[in-house]
Amino acid sequence: MNEMIDQLDDSISALLAGQKPHSPQNAQLRELMQVVNDLRCTPNHEFRARLRAKLLLGSDVTSQSPKSAMLPPSSDRAAIIPPLFSIGPSNLPIRGSHLVLSFALHAVAIALVGASGWLMVEHRTAIRTRVTELIPSSEDYVLPVAPGAIHGGGGGGDQDKLPASHGTAPRFAKEQLTPPAVIVRNEAPKLPAEPTLIGPPDLVLPQSDKYGDPMANILNPPSNGTGSGGGIGSGHGGGIGAGEGPGIGEGRGGGIGGGVYHVGGGVSAPRPIYDPDPEYSDEARKAKFQGSVVLIAVIGPDGRPRDLRVMRSLGMGLDQKALDAVWKWRFAPAMKDNRPVSVQVSIEVVFHLY
Amino acid sequence: MKATEHDTAERRLVEAAQRDPRCFAELYEANFDRVYAFVARRVPSREEAEDVTAEVFHQALSGLAGFEWQGPPFIAWLLGIASNLLARHWKRAGNQLEVLIDDIELEVVAVDADRQTLFAQLLDQLPEDQRRVIERRFFAQRSIRDIARDMGRSEGAIKQLQFRALETLRAQVRNRHE
Repeated sequence: MNEMIDQLDDSISALLAGQKPHSPQNAQLRELMQVVNDLRCTPNHEFRARLRAKLLLGSDVTSQSPKSAMLPPSSDRAAIIPPLFSIGPSNLPIRGSHLVLSFALHAVAIALVGASGWLMVEHRTAIRTRVTELIPSSEDYVLPVAPGAIHGGGGGGDQDKLPASHGTAPRFAKEQLTPPAVIVRNEAPKLPAEPTLIGPPDLVLPQSDKYGDPMANILNPPSNGTGSGGGIGSGHGGGIGAGEGPGIGEGRGGGIGGGVYHVGGGVSAPRPIYDPDPEYSDEARKAKFQGSVVLIAVIGPDGRPRDLRVMRSLGMGLDQKALDAVWKWRFAPAMKDNRPVSVQVSIEVVFHLY
Repeated sequence: MKATEHDTAERRLVEAAQRDPRCFAELYEANFDRVYAFVARRVPSREEAEDVTAEVFHQALSGLAGFEWQGPPFIAWLLGIASNLLARHWKRAGNQLEVLIDDIELEVVAVDADRQTLFAQLLDQLPEDQRRVIERRFFAQRSIRDIARDMGRSEGAIKQLQFRALETLRAQVRNRHE
């Protein structure tokens, strides 16, 4: 009996392992193996329930199976198209509401892109005008007054009671061993050195044996000026002029100062006090052409414009009309340190038909 | 129920499932036993039978929208999917066995399914210890040693319970047929 039980169990083990068991000689065993085969083909209740849940709720059934030999290749699985409005066979649940929401969001996004493009095309002129209006003229800005000058320059003097006398400047060099002087206080220095100004060595000014301030009007008596720190002029710092440092002219830090200023940095803007309107050209009037011409000019200390040039042209003869008008303008000059100075400004002349 | 009435009812189920995939549950319950019986008798292990059966229903659900009623019952379509999957499996395994849809005898499949349904019912009528041994041995694929350890019995005792359970099932099946 026990031998038959063991033989039966061996056959069961072989069958469950996927092998074909030997056909038993015993008729009772053959009938029992038929029952065993039927049991092998009887579905597991748990598998049946899991598969149903998998199909309807998206739970994973086959993951609990120890083997996956019978599963088709992944490419075949990917070929299975999940149903749109139910739970699909993939591991991620696909719900109809999600698809509808996704479709709606994409539709709204596409509609917004299309509408914005249509608006841009339909209102391109207005948009361009508005963008232009958003860029104001630079003339509307009044630059803040900076505490210091923005140009190079220099100045000096030895606290003489007389202003500096006229003369020429020494050459420029990258370093200064001796400042220039009209009156040399030490005529027998232990280490003689050539007087220089600090500035670009390639920059050559008129030279002579007599040093002095080229901008001074006084020829005699000779004087180093009222400044301090050596050099010539009313400034200080070993240079020539009213500035600071080892350069020449107004300003500081070496090099050449003075000249034309720009608004800002301690320089106020010139203010027009006489500005008659420009005339219209016949061509522009016939064409009802309107616009503005931007000129660049230097307003001198006397309030008169000079060095007028067209910076932004309008055409139709209006550029020349603008130049003609601005030549007649007069200004309250730009001021620096309570002194009128030359300043370069841009002037917008507007041509408008009323 | 006459065959035509059955076809009409099944056709309504299919059409309902095509409209609402949740209705596929009824088709699943109505056809699971026959699909499993068809597959299980053609593969050597329970794992493979379960894998193929699951794939049959997955493909059926995904392709249900394209199903057109042409006369044969719905189970024929399911068994056609199963035969294709089995053929693919055997081809990968190196065998050339092909299960053609024309060769499927639906009556045989139905008999097999009924027999398995009967066994499922008979299992529930077994004594508790015998039923536990059969379920662990055949459904959970556990070894005699593991079952003995779990149940706190000797391996010989487990083999005895297995033998008695099989004898009981054999006798009851025989009685049903007689």
